[in-house]
Amino acid sequence: MTIITTKKPFEEILTAIKDVKRITIVSCASCAAMCQTGGTEGAKEMAEKLEAEGYEISTVIVPEEVCDNRVMKKDFRKIEEQLQHTDAILTLSCGLGVASITEVLSNKFPLIPVFVGTNTEFMGMTERIGRFYMRCRGCGNCLLNETGGICPITTCAKSLMNGPCGGMVDGKCEVGNYERDCGWVLIYKRLKELGRLDLFSKLRDSVDWSESGHQREVVWR
Amino acid sequence: MTEKKIFSKLGEKLASGEFILTGELEPEKTTDLSHTIHEAKEMAPYVVAANMTDSPLGIVTINSMAATHIIQRESGLECIWQLTVRDVNKLGIAGMLMGAHALGIRNILSLTGDHTALGDMPESKPVFDLDSATLVKLVREMVDKGSINGHEIEAPPTLHVGAAANPNANPMEAEILKIGRKAEAGAEFIQTQVVYDLDKTIEFLSAIKKYKVPVLLGIFPMKSYGIAKGFDEFVPGVSVPKEILARWKSIKKDFSDKKMQNEAYDQANYEFFKPFISELKQKKLLAGVHCMAVHYPRIFPKLREVVFN
Repeated sequence: MTIITTKKPFEEILTAIKDVKRITIVSCASCAAMCQTGGTEGAKEMAEKLEAEGYEISTVIVPEEVCDNRVMKKDFRKIEEQLQHTDAILTLSCGLGVASITEVLSNKFPLIPVFVGTNTEFMGMTERIGRFYMRCRGCGNCLLNETGGICPITTCAKSLMNGPCGGMVDGKCEVGNYERDCGWVLIYKRLKELGRLDLFSKLRDSVDWSESGHQREVVWR
Repeated sequence: MTEKKIFSKLGEKLASGEFILTGELEPEKTTDLSHTIHEAKEMAPYVVAANMTDSPLGIVTINSMAATHIIQRESGLECIWQLTVRDVNKLGIAGMLMGAHALGIRNILSLTGDHTALGDMPESKPVFDLDSATLVKLVREMVDKGSINGHEIEAPPTLHVGAAANPNANPMEAEILKIGRKAEAGAEFIQTQVVYDLDKTIEFLSAIKKYKVPVLLGIFPMKSYGIAKGFDEFVPGVSVPKEILARWKSIKKDFSDKKMQNEAYDQANYEFFKPFISELKQKKLLAGVHCMAVHYPRIFPKLREVVFN
């Protein structure tokens, strides 16, 4: 599993950091490196572009996993001196990385703003580098046992619980000019193949959003 | 089996088993419904009720509940309020259903609705909290049990609810099984997508007969060659047969007089749909016909002959 990120337009980053001068780059060695938005290469490229724009790079670090508070505590301890002289952090990671950095720095360096140089796209399945697909939305209430392993929340453009809808033509979806497969037809075909059309025939209730909306947590110790 | 409750003329006719004709009205992006009222009045002598579309293709129009109320009040024509689950969540829809009853609406067609991405406000949040089957289920609970999520409604709504079906669907079996879910949810009638292919229609209708939900077959008499061609090109999943397009094209070419041309189009519609409907009636696969040709009220006297004679 990879959190898929893409590069933000450089102009947008420049607008965000226009009031600062000295920048620390924190570039993630995990998912973002795989997506070629972070890692050593991404950090190097960003540092060069920022320097060309007149920014001063305080330091660059490439932590193993920016989203892990423990990793960041350890890595920030090593660069405390440089952080004293930095105006802002630019993060090349997913949104979780930004949250993690902000959290970890909140005691010692609460006034350092944390910016992000990427857009977090989705939790992705990897076919190969450069081909990532959304197949799960992490809704918290997995239906896959009943849908042949294909998620309707993700693959149906309307996240319907009882598809296909009238927007399906020859197995394709009305959203995206009939180029993508209708998720419910994929589910139908798979369940038919498995001899489980009884599951396809089942009337399903609408999704229960009462538990799956706001700021979910998994805390077991 | 409990006796079926009847809340509208449509409900009454469906219960009686009388063959019926319904029409369709498409209010536009306007606050002035005078054109739609005019069309409703013209259609009224021929149909039991008319559907009121709900921002088709995701293109925003006047709210369909408001339009349904106004058309019923101003024209006297009973309406079938098309309610899509695209724009409002479950909580909002439950409130609208009570509001609709209070406004005199008694028939609903439960629809998913075309995706917001297709329309003229693609940046809108697509809701789809319910789907067309779970909306039917919600209506059933409100009407039959007088409750929402188990919470009592002081004065519950009385509504008939129908669902849509697509005989052109490929794969057809997926659509058939979905109709099963809608029937299980409690749909009282089905209105189909427009059909032109008789064999496919027979196959589909025969397959869904087991669900015992009365079916009103969607047809689209074509007012002109332009409309026929546009329908063929722009309505996904429905193709107008080549021989129809050829005949309509020749009518356009052969008649310069507008009145004669209109009569020829009307006659051509009659000749195509008459045997089509007769065969389905004979096979006892239909409870009626739903004419989806909007802005073509002129066809109704001829359509009456198609459907009833």
